[in-house]
Amino acid sequence: MTLLLASPALLLIAVVFGWPMLRYAWLSFHAHSVLTGLEPMANGGANWLRLAVDQRFWLDAGQTARFALISVGLELLLALAIALLLHQRWRGRGAVRALTLLPWALPTTMMALGWRWIFNSPYGPIEVLARSLGLNSLDLLSTPSITWLVTVFADVWKTTPFITLILLAGLQSIPEDLYGAFRLEGGTPVQALRSVTLPLLLPYILLSLLFRLAQAFGVFDLVQVLTGGGPAGSTESIALYAYFNGMRFLDFGYSSTVMLAGFLLLTSLILVGTLLLKSFGVLRHIDP
Amino acid sequence: MKVRRWLATGALALVMSLGALVGSASFRAEEVSILMPSSFTDASADLVKAFNHQHRGRIHLKLIRGPLNTESISDLAISSLLLGDAPFDALLMDVTWLPKYAAAGWLEPLDTWFDRRDQEQLVQGARLGNDYDGHLYRWPLVADVGMLYWRTDLMDQPPTTPEELVAVAGRLVESQAVTNGFVWQGRQYEGLSCAFLEVLKGFGGNWMDTSSYTMELDTSAATAAASWLNDLISEGVSPYAVTNYAEAESLQAFKAGDAAMMRNWPYAWAELQKDDSRVKGKVGISLMVAQQGQRPGATLGSWGLSLMRQSQHQEAAVEAIRYLTSEAAQRERFLNNGYTPIQAELFNDTEMLKASPVLSDLMEALNHAVVRPPTPLYAQLSDVVQRELNGLFTDAGSADEAMATSQKLSQTLLRATGATP
Amino acid sequence: MTRGLMTRRSLLIALVLIWSLGPMLWQLLSSFTTAEALVNDELSFWSRWTLNNYRDLLITDPPFWRYLFNSSFVASLTTLLTLMLAIPAAYGMAKLPHRLKGSLRAAVVGAALFPYVLLFLALLELARTFSLGNNLIAISIPYSALSMPLALLLLTAAFEALPNDLEDAARLEGLSLSQRLRWVLLPLIAPASASTAILVFLFAWNEYPLALTWLSRSDLLTLPVAIARIAGSSTYSVPFGTYAAATVLGAIPLLVLVLVFQRQIVSGLTNGAIKG
Repeated sequence: MTLLLASPALLLIAVVFGWPMLRYAWLSFHAHSVLTGLEPMANGGANWLRLAVDQRFWLDAGQTARFALISVGLELLLALAIALLLHQRWRGRGAVRALTLLPWALPTTMMALGWRWIFNSPYGPIEVLARSLGLNSLDLLSTPSITWLVTVFADVWKTTPFITLILLAGLQSIPEDLYGAFRLEGGTPVQALRSVTLPLLLPYILLSLLFRLAQAFGVFDLVQVLTGGGPAGSTESIALYAYFNGMRFLDFGYSSTVMLAGFLLLTSLILVGTLLLKSFGVLRHIDP
Repeated sequence: MKVRRWLATGALALVMSLGALVGSASFRAEEVSILMPSSFTDASADLVKAFNHQHRGRIHLKLIRGPLNTESISDLAISSLLLGDAPFDALLMDVTWLPKYAAAGWLEPLDTWFDRRDQEQLVQGARLGNDYDGHLYRWPLVADVGMLYWRTDLMDQPPTTPEELVAVAGRLVESQAVTNGFVWQGRQYEGLSCAFLEVLKGFGGNWMDTSSYTMELDTSAATAAASWLNDLISEGVSPYAVTNYAEAESLQAFKAGDAAMMRNWPYAWAELQKDDSRVKGKVGISLMVAQQGQRPGATLGSWGLSLMRQSQHQEAAVEAIRYLTSEAAQRERFLNNGYTPIQAELFNDTEMLKASPVLSDLMEALNHAVVRPPTPLYAQLSDVVQRELNGLFTDAGSADEAMATSQKLSQTLLRATGATP
Repeated sequence: MTRGLMTRRSLLIALVLIWSLGPMLWQLLSSFTTAEALVNDELSFWSRWTLNNYRDLLITDPPFWRYLFNSSFVASLTTLLTLMLAIPAAYGMAKLPHRLKGSLRAAVVGAALFPYVLLFLALLELARTFSLGNNLIAISIPYSALSMPLALLLLTAAFEALPNDLEDAARLEGLSLSQRLRWVLLPLIAPASASTAILVFLFAWNEYPLALTWLSRSDLLTLPVAIARIAGSSTYSVPFGTYAAATVLGAIPLLVLVLVFQRQIVSGLTNGAIKG
């Protein structure tokens, strides 16, 4: 009976999440492009062979991982600092908390457009500022070695509030008396942070890491609007490449292969990460 | 009081709906809409007004203002077409999209409306890139070809062979007459493929045989072309910065007087004649260099109108296409916006020649136009070449390897998409 | 607490606020600046300001408020649909035997973590096959599915937190399952439902990749897609003033939403973190 109540919702999840994966697995062994009249036609493992030697895919995979690791790392550090600040008691804390949440609530595409203006060369404020400092034109959005950092910046700006909130919840779960006891023993605030706060915050840190890494690995909206994957493909992510294969090249077989491969890469990344943490004994504190 | 207000509101609503009814009745004309990049809709506003005036009560033409970026407008069109309802009757298409759209079955052949006689009026280059699988799918609106810009104050005549180009540029750089010899598009993007195709033709090579899907990128001609481009950079004929140059950067360098030669599209001419240009009045246009005995090539980049298969107003849409591509329209677009015409006659027209002294050079280039491989897979094949070439320019490596890899990767791609077994 | 510490804290708070709000305030400023003043900083202070950017947005076809309406409609419908399915489902899941519940929950957590953009192609196929494209009602189905994992996690946790005796008492009174749900349990999980609702609403309001592939008619676009499309349609001059005005108009509803429902958002996200 109770399962019956749950089944419509679970069925919907199964269809919308499960069906695509099955379909991709099947399509990845088919040519399905304009050349086959947009009908699937079995092609053995040709898509996977192509993927194995497809520089663009592996470059994108590297770029995606780089983007995810660096932006989530920065977000975590920044969020920790902000959470510690917002956890203290002071007047107006509630209002500030709400205001810092705003970047997270806005649609990604909206501020992506905003960043295009802010980083615009030569009229955006950053360029104007650089010029007034006597610097050369920065061309932040058209220099392959730099533009990916702009996407990292934009992502950090938008999603730090999310991690901040989770860490704040963690901070609130730490009993005050622990700190009192620590102070009595003569510990400094910095030591308290290291030996009380961080260990107890660890589950929250890991949780937000896991969630954000998975989401950042699927980065799409931001790069699609801010850079379109350029310049010279330097900000293209796996999701964007899959999108181009499907919507621009009309090659659904290969697009499916790319997405499935991206999913497998992400899963193995998470598995390896978990194993590493386990072998370092970090997870023992959390999951008995 | 209340009743009166209700009555007043009701009367107002009645009047408004009557007005709407009358408005729609006088508007029984067939609606035709065409999706174009915003630059073209803006340049065609007067033409549309004139068309609608002429066809009052019969056809009402509306241009849909699409994104300016070439790829974005195709993305927009494809997302509509994939969902199965295109909100436009015709589409302004880049030359490289046509095979893909035609193969997907989204286009209506134009053979019934445009015959041989119509085609024969076109300048040579404009006849290319409109067919797929033996049918005409596109009628050209403007033509564009890649050309070699050269400085008339630095040389008496433009180089015609690769060796000459290197020699002239080397001499000029060495004598410090100019900072850079030759600027072009070396960034990893479509512009690099266009530049490469011209050099490839100049060395007598071919990208691929599209009828049999045979790649010809590892031939000695192709390797020689890639190697020549690479040497331009390593020997200082072109600055290393060209590896990150697109059209705009090349134009900027040439316009500032920093380069002796440039590869670019026709629009650059007007830019170089502006008052802020340091080479105003010192620029000539010519064809890209070619080895002795080889025919020089000028990559074709043109826009044309295609009719959608789903359109409910095909006759009316074709009428609009004819109007927008008519001789008068071409003349207007050239004089007002600088878009190159497509009709052969116009290149000898006195009024047109007065407006631009380079029109005959343009015609010459259009007669040497070459198309990028007309296959639905062009975008992916081009990406392979861009990547390999830019990698060759920026990292150590040999042209042999780069072209052999391009060949292999292209073949893998052809197999995976079902083009070849 | 010493004075020095306090001023240092104020400084840090100011920094955090500048970081969070600065870019948005810059957009606000730009939205009132004339196109000329955006590219020319030598213009006098008084000739820099204009409302034209907003006027331009409202006279386009379709006008900008149309996108706001579309987004509100889709987001509301999605929220409604999600809650209607998720509340009974969460109740059911909370009552499941332990073993089954564990594996189901693991699957739901996996779905919540999943970068859903990877689903777009297969979902587009479904939209083509069943003619669901360009339909604001239809698109709320995948939207509900995509927000379902989070909704289930939040609501299941809420049901589990309720004491069992309460429901037992209601059962003894002879209330049926639907009556118990409606009159006893629903009021008790109202706070959790509110949190869930606002998070689902935000998700649907902001969703981009699916909207990009399922909606192509310009009068049906949701805000994120419409904004991205505005970005692509510039001609020679760069209409950054109009962009800025679009971001401001698009941000206002969210600003109100976040400030009003701050508490629900925070508790939703943190509960999701603790219990999910």
